[in-house]
Amino acid sequence: MVMDFNTLYNFPFRFDRLIDEFFKSPEAEGRRLAYPPLNLSSDDANFYVRAEIPGVDIKDIELTLTDKTLVIKGERQTEQGRYYRQERPAGVFHRVVTIGAAVDREKVSASMTNGVLTVVLPKSEQVKPRTISIEAA
Amino acid sequence: MNEVMKKEERAVPTYRPATDILEREDGFYIYMDMPGVDRQQLEIDLNGDELTVSAVTSMQLGENEHFSEMQFGNCEYRRVVSLSDIVDRERIKANLSDGVLELHLPKVERIQPKRIEITKG
Repeated sequence: MVMDFNTLYNFPFRFDRLIDEFFKSPEAEGRRLAYPPLNLSSDDANFYVRAEIPGVDIKDIELTLTDKTLVIKGERQTEQGRYYRQERPAGVFHRVVTIGAAVDREKVSASMTNGVLTVVLPKSEQVKPRTISIEAA
Repeated sequence: MNEVMKKEERAVPTYRPATDILEREDGFYIYMDMPGVDRQQLEIDLNGDELTVSAVTSMQLGENEHFSEMQFGNCEYRRVVSLSDIVDRERIKANLSDGVLELHLPKVERIQPKRIEITKG
C-alpha cells in the first residue's frame, strides 16, 4: 500500500474516531436506504421535491410526470482508476414520488444547485386554499 | 463540559461524506459527495499528514413550507484523510462542482518510475 489512508497511523486519534462512528446517529444509516434521498414539502402555492444527486448534470436526469407520480431517473458514472476506497453510490437510480394532489403540469420547473435537485410543482387552481368572501345579507 | 453535552449543543448533525479514493497515472484522486455545499462554506486544511475537509450545507427552506418527508437536511460534512509521503503537498488541487469535491494529489517527482541509463565503463 503506497498511501496511508487507513492504517494504525496516529492511533489514539483514530480510536476516538472509531468510537464516534460506532455511536453515530441511526439517521446516517437511514440516508443509505434509498438513493437518492428525498425531501417532500409543500406550501400554499407549490409542491417541492428535492433530491441530493451530487455529480450528475441536470441534463442527464430524466423527470417524468404522470397523473399522480413524479419519476426521477438517472445514472451516476464511476470514475476510472485503481480504487482504494469506493463509498459513493454509482449506477442507475430510480425513484417514484407520489404527488397526492393535482398539479399545474405546464408550469413544473426543475433546477440543480450544488448537487441538489429541486422540482417545483405548482398546485393546480382547484386545490389551492381559497378564501370565500361572505356577503352580508 | 463533557463530550456528550458538546454534541447536543451542535445545531446540525455531522456526517462523513461518501468518498472514493483512486489512483491514476498522474497521481491520486479523492472524490467526496457534498450536496448542498457552496464553495464559500468549504474548508480544506492540510496539517502535517492529515488532510481535513469540512463544510456546512446552505440549503434554504421556504418560510411556509410543510414537510411530509425529510430524508436529508442541513448538516456538516467532515472527513480526515491521511497522506503518505509520496503525495506532493505543494501541488494538491481542489475543485468543487455539482456538490462533488474533487481533490487531485500528484505524486512527488522522485516516485515516478525512471529508467536509469547504463553508460559503458
